[in-house]
Amino acid sequence: MALSTYLVPSAAKSAVALCLVVALPCLAIHVAFTGPLVTTITNFLVMLTAVAALGVFAGNSGILSFGHCAFMALGAQISATLTIAPAMKKSAFPLLPDFILQNQLGLVLALLVTMILVGTVAWAIGLAICRLNGSSASISTLGLLIIVESLIVAAQGYTRGNQAVYGVQKLINIPTALALALLAIAVARLFRDSRPGLLLRAGRENEAAAQSVGIDVPRQRLTAWVVSAMLSAMAGAMMAHFLTVFSPKQFYFDLTFAIIVMQVVGGMASVTGAVAGAVLVTALIEVLRRFENGLDLGFMQVPQIFGVTQVGLSLIIIVTLYRRREGLLGFAEIENFWPALRRVIGGAPIGGTPAAASPAPAGELAVEGVTKAYGGLVAVDQVNLTLRTGEILGLIGPNGSGKTTLLGCIAGTHAPTAGKVRIDQTEITGHPPYVVARLGIGRTFQNIRLFTNLTALENVMAALAQRHSAIPRQELESRALDLLGELKIAELAGRTAGTLAYGQQRRLEIARALALEPRFMLLDEPAAGMNESETNDLLGILAWLVKERGLGLLIVDHDMQLIMRLCQRIAVLNKGQLIALGTPAEVQRNPAVREAYLGRRHAEKMIA
Amino acid sequence: MDFLVQQFVNALALGGTYALLGLGLAVVFSVLGLINFAHGELMTLTGYGIFYALFLGLPFPVALLIGVTLATVSAMLMERIAFRPVRNSSPTTMLLTSFAVSTILHILFQNLISARPKAIPIPDALAGAVTIGTLQIGAIQLISIVVTALSLLGLTLFLKRSMLGIAMRAAAEDFNVTRLMGVNANMVISTAFAISGLLAGVAGILWLFQRGSVDPLMGFLPVLKAFIAVVLGGLGSLSGAVVGGFLLGFIEIALRAYLPDDALAYRDAISLTLVIAVLFFYPQGLVPRRESVR
Repeated sequence: MALSTYLVPSAAKSAVALCLVVALPCLAIHVAFTGPLVTTITNFLVMLTAVAALGVFAGNSGILSFGHCAFMALGAQISATLTIAPAMKKSAFPLLPDFILQNQLGLVLALLVTMILVGTVAWAIGLAICRLNGSSASISTLGLLIIVESLIVAAQGYTRGNQAVYGVQKLINIPTALALALLAIAVARLFRDSRPGLLLRAGRENEAAAQSVGIDVPRQRLTAWVVSAMLSAMAGAMMAHFLTVFSPKQFYFDLTFAIIVMQVVGGMASVTGAVAGAVLVTALIEVLRRFENGLDLGFMQVPQIFGVTQVGLSLIIIVTLYRRREGLLGFAEIENFWPALRRVIGGAPIGGTPAAASPAPAGELAVEGVTKAYGGLVAVDQVNLTLRTGEILGLIGPNGSGKTTLLGCIAGTHAPTAGKVRIDQTEITGHPPYVVARLGIGRTFQNIRLFTNLTALENVMAALAQRHSAIPRQELESRALDLLGELKIAELAGRTAGTLAYGQQRRLEIARALALEPRFMLLDEPAAGMNESETNDLLGILAWLVKERGLGLLIVDHDMQLIMRLCQRIAVLNKGQLIALGTPAEVQRNPAVREAYLGRRHAEKMIA
Repeated sequence: MDFLVQQFVNALALGGTYALLGLGLAVVFSVLGLINFAHGELMTLTGYGIFYALFLGLPFPVALLIGVTLATVSAMLMERIAFRPVRNSSPTTMLLTSFAVSTILHILFQNLISARPKAIPIPDALAGAVTIGTLQIGAIQLISIVVTALSLLGLTLFLKRSMLGIAMRAAAEDFNVTRLMGVNANMVISTAFAISGLLAGVAGILWLFQRGSVDPLMGFLPVLKAFIAVVLGGLGSLSGAVVGGFLLGFIEIALRAYLPDDALAYRDAISLTLVIAVLFFYPQGLVPRRESVR
């Protein structure tokens, strides 16, 4: 596996820049000051680590996690247990086995052991949580927080239960905290642009589309989950070894809220945003903390107000969510603000001459007696179809006739109630969409499903990265650029996909599907929303796909001109049943078809 | 055998409370996609409403009514003030907004009222037990079960028979199309919040009967569990919320009854772990909503 799949050069430079931006002021303060400012900065670095850790999962997957403080708690508990002197350990944790009680580890070794243990636990939990989507997953992480907290409290004897663990060695000062925080930031930044990070971000943008290019989204989430849990554990260990005293209640909802606020205010999807958010919110907390105990302003006495910090955090996150939802930095990273960095990084890709792609090996996609029933409603009824490579099969029918459902049954979105779907001799019935995609079926959607916040290049790169796990980054970029060139949108490579015009988006969707090197493509209303010249362009592209690439296309559309001109054969569905299958001429003459679909006026025009 | 039936009754009572809470959450979620973290604060408000009503010398039933009304009105205000600006954004955004609102309310309670619990005097009539055959069932538990059943029945009738209820179910299916059909969006959403406030108020009363006091964090833990129950049942599905609530109640009571003593401290951890384990096999929940990919 090429190193550049994980250590993308551009991301590495960005990470270095970010680390310098953080490190220089902190080192300056460390050299120049002592006293409370040192405490503040060390605290800040610990929080920064925690925020960066959260961002690895939440930012890239789009799923907010309330449970990462649980990993911090575990990290603190385990690392403290490992580093506390044996004399103290016996009285603090009497039930622990001897080999733990009698040994004492240094910071680095303790951190390693802690991170490995927490990573393993996180992996086990992640198997369940990463299969959930959106809100369900977030709520479950909430459950995780409660579970771990109550476990730590209940396991008195192995832990100190509800009480504080004290006597932890102070092994963390500004230099060590800085080193670990920079490690966390670097890992987070590199992860974002690495292959797993790219695939996960694609899944965040649009899960169905990610699946349609073969990305196993839960699996990518699991990777990020484990990495972020390990970094969180490190942050927790840092906190324990800096404060020298900690209790489980510290790693509960208040801390969770503070970390989330930092991430959201700065920009959840950006590592630079995490840094910015941490800086801003830490400053806010420091200011507000002065007010908690009351303040003598000279001309008036501000009374003690309990919870001012919490209210301040709540207000700042509400303001962010109301006014600038994506956070201060949105999806931007440091190189977006620093043109000098951009030139050094060389973000804009250079195109090459497109390599001639070999045509798809011949074969057939067979749908045999496929039925899909939802309770009493039969959406697809015993449909038999065959699609060969190198041919274009049109699928038409009135609205509600089951066309999209049939596509779903083939692509794996729905499991058929009965019947079989096969590619050549391999049966693919009921396989999940990402498996079907990897077996050679590409797909576009009725409502264009792009990875909106990724660039056009990244959209295609995600699909390519999924297909080829071992190709170096440079090659991935140039292949993606070639694909964009074949669809005549190479100049749009650096544009964010969501900003493209409709026709361009459609082309991008097709280019991305092509990255899979599919043998068959399912196109769901590709001409929807297009005017006449755009439709003609599309016709050219589709014909080229078949002639040059040898694909088999199954096209669902309502545009009769497109279907009749393009397709060699047409299948007609009505109420879930296949009522006709033949050449355009045959289908037009078929009375059942005319009656069901074309309507009298159109039918007369066709005959004339 | 008696022990078993006794535990069954306990489970029904506890499960019923979770079901009511879960249903309140699910009603709002199904229409808006918002998981309302501040739902627990509605329970707490009910408690404080009852406390102050009793403090002013009002009779007990009136105090209960005031508590529930306060919860209902507060829910609608919450929507109008805090949630309307983020109405069309991602579920995460709405979740975080509600979390922030919940935190602010906590702090307000702690500062404006008190951080300490306030005792609610429960009338003697409710403190006793009812004898059915060989069983002693606490009056409060009996009331819990009856009230839960009536609430579920009432809600079902409302949703199936009344115009507003039908409009809400339509909005839960497809909000935009419902608006195109001429249904007033704000009215539907306000109704959803009002219902969730009402359910929170009722659940708050039942919870209060069990605890006898109200404090600022009263609603927090039960609502957290209600969230889990809702996810277990299937996010967005009303019957799922009820199923999840009852199931969680049953699991908790079963653990409380049958766990050996030294493992009792682990009860919460075990019940939540079981729930997450179930989610592993049913990621969409037990009674999921069907959605199509177009």
